[in-house]
Amino acid sequence: MPTINFTLNGKPVSLNTDPTRRFLDVLREELTLTGPKEGCGEGECGACAVLIDGHITNSCILPLGNVSGREVMTIEGYRETKRYRVLEEAYIAEGAVQCGICIPGMIIASESLLAHNPHPTDDDIRIGLSGNLCRCTGYNMIVRAVKRAATRGKGLW
Amino acid sequence: MPDIHQSVPKIDAKEKISGRMTYVADMRYDDMLYAKTVRSSQAHARIRSVRVPTLPEGYHVVDHRDIPGKNVVKMIFDDWPVFASDTVHHVGEPIMLVVGPDKRIVQTLVDAIVIDYEPLNPTFSMTDSVVNYHYDKGDPASAFKAADTTVAYDYETGYQEQAYIEPQGFIGTYDDERIHLIGSIQAPYYVKNAVIDTMACDPDAIRVVQATVGGAFGGKEEFPSLMGCQLAVALNKIKRPIKLIYEREEDMDVTTKRHPSKTRIEGAIKEGRITALRIHIGIDGGAFIGLSGVVLSRAIIAATSAYTVDNLDVSGDVYKTNTVPNGAFRGFGAPQMIYAVEMFFHHVAKHLNVDVHDFRLKHLAKQGNHTSTSGLFRDPILMPEMIERACAMSDYHTKRKAYANPEVYKGIGMSWFLHGCGFTGSGEAEHIKAKIKLEKLPDGLVYLRVAAVDMGQGAKTTLMKVAAKTLDLPLERIRYENPDTDLVPDSGPTVASRTAMVVGGLVARAATKLKKTWIDDEHQVIHEQYVQPDYVRWNQDTFTGDAYPAYSWGVNVVEVEVDKTTLEVEVKHIWSTYDVGQSLDDNIVLGQADGGTAQGVAYGYLEVMRHREGKLLHKNMTDYVIPTAVDMAKTTTELYNNPFALGPYGAKGAGELTLVGGAPAVALAIEMAIGKRVHAIPATPEYLMEVLHHAND
Amino acid sequence: MVSHVIPKTYAEALTVLKAGNHRVIAGGTDMMVRHRAWAGLPPLFDKPVLFAFTLSELKYVKEDEQVICIGAMTDLETLLHHERTPALLRQVIAIMASPAIRYVSTLAGNIVNASPAADSLLALYALDAQVVLESTSGKRILSIEKTIVGPGKTVLHDDEMVAEIRIPKTRFTHTMFRKVGGRRADAITKIGFVGCATVNEGIIRDLRLVFNAVAPVVVREKSVEALHVGHSVKNVLSDTDTLMHHYSEHIKPIDDQRSNQHYRKEAALRLARHFLDTLA
Repeated sequence: MPTINFTLNGKPVSLNTDPTRRFLDVLREELTLTGPKEGCGEGECGACAVLIDGHITNSCILPLGNVSGREVMTIEGYRETKRYRVLEEAYIAEGAVQCGICIPGMIIASESLLAHNPHPTDDDIRIGLSGNLCRCTGYNMIVRAVKRAATRGKGLW
Repeated sequence: MPDIHQSVPKIDAKEKISGRMTYVADMRYDDMLYAKTVRSSQAHARIRSVRVPTLPEGYHVVDHRDIPGKNVVKMIFDDWPVFASDTVHHVGEPIMLVVGPDKRIVQTLVDAIVIDYEPLNPTFSMTDSVVNYHYDKGDPASAFKAADTTVAYDYETGYQEQAYIEPQGFIGTYDDERIHLIGSIQAPYYVKNAVIDTMACDPDAIRVVQATVGGAFGGKEEFPSLMGCQLAVALNKIKRPIKLIYEREEDMDVTTKRHPSKTRIEGAIKEGRITALRIHIGIDGGAFIGLSGVVLSRAIIAATSAYTVDNLDVSGDVYKTNTVPNGAFRGFGAPQMIYAVEMFFHHVAKHLNVDVHDFRLKHLAKQGNHTSTSGLFRDPILMPEMIERACAMSDYHTKRKAYANPEVYKGIGMSWFLHGCGFTGSGEAEHIKAKIKLEKLPDGLVYLRVAAVDMGQGAKTTLMKVAAKTLDLPLERIRYENPDTDLVPDSGPTVASRTAMVVGGLVARAATKLKKTWIDDEHQVIHEQYVQPDYVRWNQDTFTGDAYPAYSWGVNVVEVEVDKTTLEVEVKHIWSTYDVGQSLDDNIVLGQADGGTAQGVAYGYLEVMRHREGKLLHKNMTDYVIPTAVDMAKTTTELYNNPFALGPYGAKGAGELTLVGGAPAVALAIEMAIGKRVHAIPATPEYLMEVLHHAND
Repeated sequence: MVSHVIPKTYAEALTVLKAGNHRVIAGGTDMMVRHRAWAGLPPLFDKPVLFAFTLSELKYVKEDEQVICIGAMTDLETLLHHERTPALLRQVIAIMASPAIRYVSTLAGNIVNASPAADSLLALYALDAQVVLESTSGKRILSIEKTIVGPGKTVLHDDEMVAEIRIPKTRFTHTMFRKVGGRRADAITKIGFVGCATVNEGIIRDLRLVFNAVAPVVVREKSVEALHVGHSVKNVLSDTDTLMHHYSEHIKPIDDQRSNQHYRKEAALRLARHFLDTLA
């Protein structure tokens, strides 16, 4: 087995395990990070999303081998940031959370979107969140939350 | 505390946003085993033999022979086996569990099991009726005889999958001869009572705890009872912690869905009015009846939706087919019927060549009118102003004139609808008999002991607000943990738009009592039990009387644009007005409105599920398409305050109402855009292409 | 036992491939789904895997006067925002899958996956893209049509991998791209169409009509296109039925869970007709 090194939430990680394993399984079972969820197992719903080098990626179809040498941030690391707190306030204020299973992934998608586009239009937000399925909210409150975070988090993104 | 409708931060939002909230798949025990289900590959067959390979040490199979009690899942109609024994009735029917510590080996064993089937003739058409209901109102036969003319149309609806983002799952342990199940469930006591029958055990031997639910929409009402029974049998045999989590494909393949339906409506018309309707709805129950009879009840009771028609002949059948069993889904039979009725009223108006809006207004239900089942609309009905407001918000009348031109390929559709709150008929009084407990600890914290499940709809926040406001305490002093059958009495399942109104009503009453008897530093417990209002009378045999104690009402307006070349539908905007009594939290009710409408509209034009010879063709999130943020239109929603005397602070039901009008509104908009009648949903581009080629108008 | 490899350099990757025992995966978005096992277990690959996605040598977009060269491991999101990416290709990528998928998807992966419904292939066929295949024995440069021979089938040898995609720079006076999916974002294509044309003084100088999800491979009929080049738009539009008739023979869609043959065929032909109408 090749050794796979990467950075996870700011700390170096070195693993000796099958590199074809789904990164989601490595996170949840090996590293006990259960913030990323499994909704579909085929990269469709985004509940498992993590940031790889700052970009949103679905960890359920990401082989561990592709994480080699890269910087990974999961919701567990992201929730310690200032940007997270802005998003958290916005999601609460806009009533964007129902069952919550998609929300850690939505937060990751929101971060990835705002990091690349700090002043998104409504359409930009919808496209940015289009790989994250939510069955409870109908999305409008989530879209408003991202908009609110973009406005209130001036300078953070 | 401010007005009850003013939003507060949802009680569980922070935990959910941060990823700290534990769902059942996130739980584990050190010596935990994994279970995988072996399923039927056949739609209908006799099992000749099952060959299981030699099991390595520590690996087990669990099947019908391990069931100590009844091999049936206790539901409304008890025909659903826990494990198939000699015959299988649908593809995916569970036959056994394979359980062991290493998933790899469990999977190898599952793959090595050989089942020899003797094929039997399967039924896929809606021909084999297993439940039939009928009721009359007034004198439909005479009205048909006296009619100037009669018109009849047929309508069809397809499957709909709940598509909660968290698949179904349980984890269970066996300690001190007790079975302890933790699951993603809507109805802890449904699971507990089903397990008791399957295990033939003392009720105290079963403990069911709700794990945080990642979406349910009815899909976790009765189906978890099946999984809970299977896991209980396995725990009883193996006596080690076991995890049973479905993957997406398995979940979509074998769990219950919204019933496909076929409805025929015949109207008697006299002097420009519908004087009588003869309606028949058939729903495809799948391989087992389960809740289908109750779904059918709600469907036939919704026969006139928000209209009043004096003479009715309404009937319906549940058909048994060799397909995945269908069951509870937000709306529970009403979406199928309300779609058909709304289309019918439009189609009749078109046929009579009269203005649709005026024609519908003539039939709109009014306070004091008799309901479809000859009960009474006792409470004020705000529909006239809600309709007028929805028209103004959406500029409905201007647009419908402009879009009458078939060249513009735009359309606007409006649906009017109601939803009965709580269980149908005497369900609350005779079957559920909801009980709750308020427990005040010496430290002054007040615990809500209810079996109601927060599955995202905000039950915790709203019921805690009701208690806090009534007790005049800050919200922080109220506690509401996920229900645990060891700690909470049976306040009923979290279904039927009953939680806010019925359970919330009991919480309000108990809180009022507690406030009156409050003694500082003491442990106090207040019990409450549901009492049916005197005026609610229901005859289940004749389907007459008050089917529900209260009704919520709604109006949806949907605007669409249809692509001339490809006939793809784009939903441009959705406007709604709702009367849910008193809102217990505006953000929460608006969240229900947005989510319910999204689901309802998508049911009408987007979500496709079909089977071929009993095998579902759409069984993952790629093939079964639900809306993304790009598909979902902006919404504008206004709430009307119309307090219901018996609801807490006047609250009625809000969960299901917001779904039931979506499909007809979008279908009517599409119909306007393409200038042809839409008789089936989902109205996909494929269907519309067919309609353009074959339909006359 | 041969094991999985995460090569440090492109040269190492080619050396590993020489024995022909490895399966190359790029972002893995298709392969990981196709080979997936029970959640928690590794996917079931038929061969040991060579992970190519981290090869930085294959992440680039270069150009000379005639051609844009895209390194095989360049992700689609980078291409979407890259100034050198041909406008048509960018337009197609913009509605492919979702951001999370685009960050780990590659044109090379799309080509090797050879799905008849792949969106990016529409643009690559329309733009006469060439595919550079490489092994330790050298390079082969093939047209996209020659590279893909059937659904999921390419002419790649076991020791080869895609090194680069080359797209000739072409200007058109008219282009149109339409994708019909099950929904407006993040959907698999039911039917897709790209039309490109150059019209000069009413005469068609260049015409390219490409369809996907209507046959085992992407449909582009150069012989049919050639019949119309040099003719006036007016002439062509006066008899679109003949042109449609030509395509009718090549557009042979199937019924599946996403759509049906009747719709696919009619929508495809309607889109082509619609494009031709825009030339007037």
